[in-house]
Amino acid sequence: MIETKNLSKIYNPGKFEVNAVDNISTLFKEGEFTSVVGPSGSGKTTFLNCVGGLDQPTSGEVIISGENITELSGSKIINYRLNNIGFVFQAYNLIPVLSAKENIEMIMLLQGVDENNRISRTNELLNQVGLYEMRNRRPSQLSGGQQQRVAVARALASKPKFILADEPTANLDSKSTSNLLDIMSQLNEAENITFIFSTHDQRVIDRARRVVTLEDGKIINDNKK
Amino acid sequence: MNILTLIKISWRNVWRNKLRSFVVILSVIFGLVGGIIMIAMSYGLNEERMNNAVETYLSHIQIHNKSFSEEYNIKHTIDNLEGIENAIENDSRVVSYSKRIILNGMLSNSNGSYGIQVKGVDPVQEVKVTNTYEKIIEGEYFKSKRDNTILIGKKLADRLNLKIKSKVVITFQDENYELTSLLYRVEGIFRSGNSRYDEANVFVKNISIAKNLPNFSGYHEIPMLLTDIDLRGDLKNDLIPYSSDNIVEGWDDISKDLAYANEMLAAVLYIFMMIILSGLSFGIVNTMLMAILERRKEIGMLMSIGMSRFKIFLMISFETMFLSIVALPIGLIISYSIVEYYSVVGIDLSIVEAGLENFGVGTRLYFKVPNQEYFIVAIMVFVISIISSIFPSVRALKINPVEATKTI
Repeated sequence: MIETKNLSKIYNPGKFEVNAVDNISTLFKEGEFTSVVGPSGSGKTTFLNCVGGLDQPTSGEVIISGENITELSGSKIINYRLNNIGFVFQAYNLIPVLSAKENIEMIMLLQGVDENNRISRTNELLNQVGLYEMRNRRPSQLSGGQQQRVAVARALASKPKFILADEPTANLDSKSTSNLLDIMSQLNEAENITFIFSTHDQRVIDRARRVVTLEDGKIINDNKK
Repeated sequence: MNILTLIKISWRNVWRNKLRSFVVILSVIFGLVGGIIMIAMSYGLNEERMNNAVETYLSHIQIHNKSFSEEYNIKHTIDNLEGIENAIENDSRVVSYSKRIILNGMLSNSNGSYGIQVKGVDPVQEVKVTNTYEKIIEGEYFKSKRDNTILIGKKLADRLNLKIKSKVVITFQDENYELTSLLYRVEGIFRSGNSRYDEANVFVKNISIAKNLPNFSGYHEIPMLLTDIDLRGDLKNDLIPYSSDNIVEGWDDISKDLAYANEMLAAVLYIFMMIILSGLSFGIVNTMLMAILERRKEIGMLMSIGMSRFKIFLMISFETMFLSIVALPIGLIISYSIVEYYSVVGIDLSIVEAGLENFGVGTRLYFKVPNQEYFIVAIMVFVISIISSIFPSVRALKINPVEATKTI
């Protein structure tokens, strides 16, 4: 369970203040498939950055499974991210010198997972995202959709409590988007992993079971389907 | 993540931009080869100079009377000559030795005079300790049956316009401090490769001096060659007890400037090498900074997903070090091949013959690099590569993952 309490992020405090996130309190339950939507500049990305421990909020708390992650700093927050949060980036951000298999494996290497478990988990994820046959290809040898599927597999590799995905379909065509959403939806159901997307994409919004709408850093709508 | 995985990623990262890495590696190779050739030429030049001096006039060890070394009066001959000769003859470390009478005086002819040192030698014994006989360029090495023949250097011959069979007079102080003159005829002209030596040293048969100085006996100098130049320290210690009036010196005691140059050379060469490598390190740092700039997003992503700062520091450090470490063996192999080739063939420097002769070396320069120098250069490259890696690695750590990835 992820809970934000009075979460605020103010850029340029004391000067030309920008309230990117303005006093947001909300709750994401385990296994949710949520889209955070809103126009550009509404604070979606900053909100997810704070929830993911990448950005330090100006005030408020982010409590994940009872642990206030805003109090963690330095190596503790890095370790927390490594073991609890999966990230999917708009631009995939795979390591170009590693194969698909190695990109997925890398996060488990960072965690110190033993070789047998690492290999079996990697193969399992490659099968789930339908890229087992292409496991030895480097990112440059994969299409955008395939790269994003590897990115999803990488995010899942660490067995995180939840996955944060910022505009995961922004660079994909409709077929790849549909394919990716199917995979994420299946993983959400099969592994009961919480997915939180920020998106403009109506196709993603349509598939989400909860849609949180932000404007000027505030939640203006929270619909559960 | 174990260190091997990190090394693997770093290694692959190095080859992402092959051309750029290749150019950097090539520059390090060129720097390394250039530096080692500089070392090889310097060592070669210095060794040539040292060998030339040792073979021509210094020998490995010389014995003199202490007083002769101070005031050069011919009465100060070597003390306990017989005991010393016995010791030398029975010592397996000594290959050969000679006995010389030394006179400091003036050599004159109708064209002028010049201060010289006369070495009265036994022609048969002398060839065992000096290579002067090989350096005769005109005339012959003491083939004449006459006693009063003299070998002079080319520079002195030019200065006083002396030719073969020219007559010269040597004037010196005898043991009673009275001026004595001896007449000689030029039998040979030598060119040792050291013009200063050629200008100020002449050889005569010692019998010619003994005949003209009936009250004089003994010798002033015993030069000797050993089986190994490095044995001189031990042998010196063994010969010192034979007389407290004598002084036993190694070549490095006699020619301190030559020995000092030898010692200084290594230090100076290391400084030059450090300057070359430091210059190259700026190229490496620049390349790595460019690589980090290009990969901001990727490094930001690695930070986001949980790669520790220490591992990112190591990854960038390894990449930086690889650039130097790849260049190192290639540079060393190329350098070694060039040095080995020119250590046998040598480089013809006759174009600067006059300058080299003043410096005391011949016109063919043979490269030389002691093996430990390769090791030291390798260590220097390694150290420089570690130092070069710090700045790019620290720069990588300053990347803010939120800004770098723009989105999570």
